[in-house]
Amino acid sequence: MSRPGSSDEPSRSARAEGFPLSLGDQLVANGCVTPRQLDLALQRQRAGTGGTHEAHLVGRTLVEMGCITQSALLQCLYHQFALERDAYTVDETVRPVIRMERVVKILDNRRVLDAVDLSIPANRVTAIIGMSGGGKSVTLKHMVGLMKPDQGTVWVGEEALGRLSSRELTRVRGRFSLLFQGGALFDSMNVFDNVAFPLREKTGLAEAEIRLRVMRCLEEVNLVGMERKYPDELSGGMMKRAALARALVTNPEILLLDEPTAGLDPIIENAIHYLICDTFMRTRYTMVVISHAVPEIFNWCHHVIVLHRGKVLFSGPSREVVTSRDPVIRQFIRGDLDGPIQVI
Amino acid sequence: MVDFVRYIGSLTLDVIREMGRLFLFLWEVLRSVPTPPYRWGNFLKQVHFIGIRSLFVIALTAVFTGMVLALQGYYTLSRFGSEALLGPAVALSIIRELGPVLSGLMVTGRAGSALTAELGIMRIREQIDALDVMGISPLKFLVTPRIEAGLLAVPLLTVLFDVIGVWGGYLVAVRLLGMSGGTYFGGIESAVGMHDIVTGLIKSLCFGLIVTWICTYKGYFTRRGAEGVSQATTSAVVMSSVLILICDYFITSIML
Repeated sequence: MSRPGSSDEPSRSARAEGFPLSLGDQLVANGCVTPRQLDLALQRQRAGTGGTHEAHLVGRTLVEMGCITQSALLQCLYHQFALERDAYTVDETVRPVIRMERVVKILDNRRVLDAVDLSIPANRVTAIIGMSGGGKSVTLKHMVGLMKPDQGTVWVGEEALGRLSSRELTRVRGRFSLLFQGGALFDSMNVFDNVAFPLREKTGLAEAEIRLRVMRCLEEVNLVGMERKYPDELSGGMMKRAALARALVTNPEILLLDEPTAGLDPIIENAIHYLICDTFMRTRYTMVVISHAVPEIFNWCHHVIVLHRGKVLFSGPSREVVTSRDPVIRQFIRGDLDGPIQVI
Repeated sequence: MVDFVRYIGSLTLDVIREMGRLFLFLWEVLRSVPTPPYRWGNFLKQVHFIGIRSLFVIALTAVFTGMVLALQGYYTLSRFGSEALLGPAVALSIIRELGPVLSGLMVTGRAGSALTAELGIMRIREQIDALDVMGISPLKFLVTPRIEAGLLAVPLLTVLFDVIGVWGGYLVAVRLLGMSGGTYFGGIESAVGMHDIVTGLIKSLCFGLIVTWICTYKGYFTRRGAEGVSQATTSAVVMSSVLILICDYFITSIML
């Protein structure tokens, strides 16, 4: 069955290998909406945007039309995500999008990364977990070239970051967006200008087009109406969502999220997890999430990497980490005081 | 004794390392000046912050500096019956020395400390890293416009300081002490040459560079949270002020 939007225009979701179904098709396949409702939503999108549409935003249109509630949409996307997550296996034949080979980093005479070898699979959500000070944020900064390893190599695709000129590094960074732990929104700009900033600086887009894109991103993170607020007027959850909108506005291939739920209450934490899942299901970006939300994060990622004292203890599907027999991993997941990690 | 020698050696190495980083920082900034994009809005915003918003404090400092110079000068010169030289004494002191030095110090206190604090907070809140990740050079975006603005604003503020300072001297000498206005300004006209004005302007250009260079450098490399910002700000103000005075001596000795 051919539907408008599912084949005539490649969506961002269809772009990723191994995901032949568009978002709308997935919603139909899961019984969340009927094919008729999907057709109507896609027609409405076309009418609203002068003949063009983005299939990954069809969920919003379905909500606007009253075919499905926002929470039901998110639940439906999560259900589909969970199926994919449970079926995920590490495929050694597929080249990872980011690779770290024997990376060593010494900070203040401490070996923060100690010969780290890890791979980030493309078009999947990877969670990096571990004790505070275990090298997670440093790992993330190496991936995007904000830090240089003392030894070893960081590969992004086929390119070794350490061998790139500053211009080439800037080009490679164009593939990334990074959501910083504190949001890193510019204090002197309101939410709209913060989100618009990378577009204004890095693209030659007209202001009208920038406005359209920014508002669409703010809509995706449910921040419409907040665009004139300054960062100091936002709550922690809003700040994270605004920063997520800024990270998404440039359509990155790789999205790095540094503790997106740190310091948030459980409801907002859950909402951010749903938002990440929603973003992934719509866009199929490669995502790397640093999180302390254990064990909840295992529900929201395909792949888990456990870092402990600068070394990779585990790297594999999320369903396997919970059954790991490694005493450090077991203690970390359970949060036990007794075990090989002594904190008191 | 060995510990003391080790301490001195380590201190010397730290100073050399810091100087190397300082000059590399300046070199990177200078290299970024001719490369596009040119953010005129950013530059004008900084000119407004460093220049326009320093006007009041510069004017206030200038008028009282001129007044106190006239007062002190009058009583000193009157001992030798040379009151007629008061105008040139006030004008030369201000144009050659006090104008550029005090303007530089005032800008350091008012705008330089704010530059350090602003960049320091941006650093610890990862906003500078965010620029890097977006592929936007933080040096070009944040530092270059501030240094360019300093190079423009401080000489202009110095000219203003000179004019108001001479006028402050006039208030005391002519209005308060009853000296003839013609004597005051006539002496200035005959004693002050273009060389004096150029010397003052060269100094102010150097001080504008010193203030913005040191203050942006200290802010850009701030570490260790709020305490680090406070330390960086203090250090920037002290270092800029001391460098202004040292530099003033050397320029004076070269251009005398």
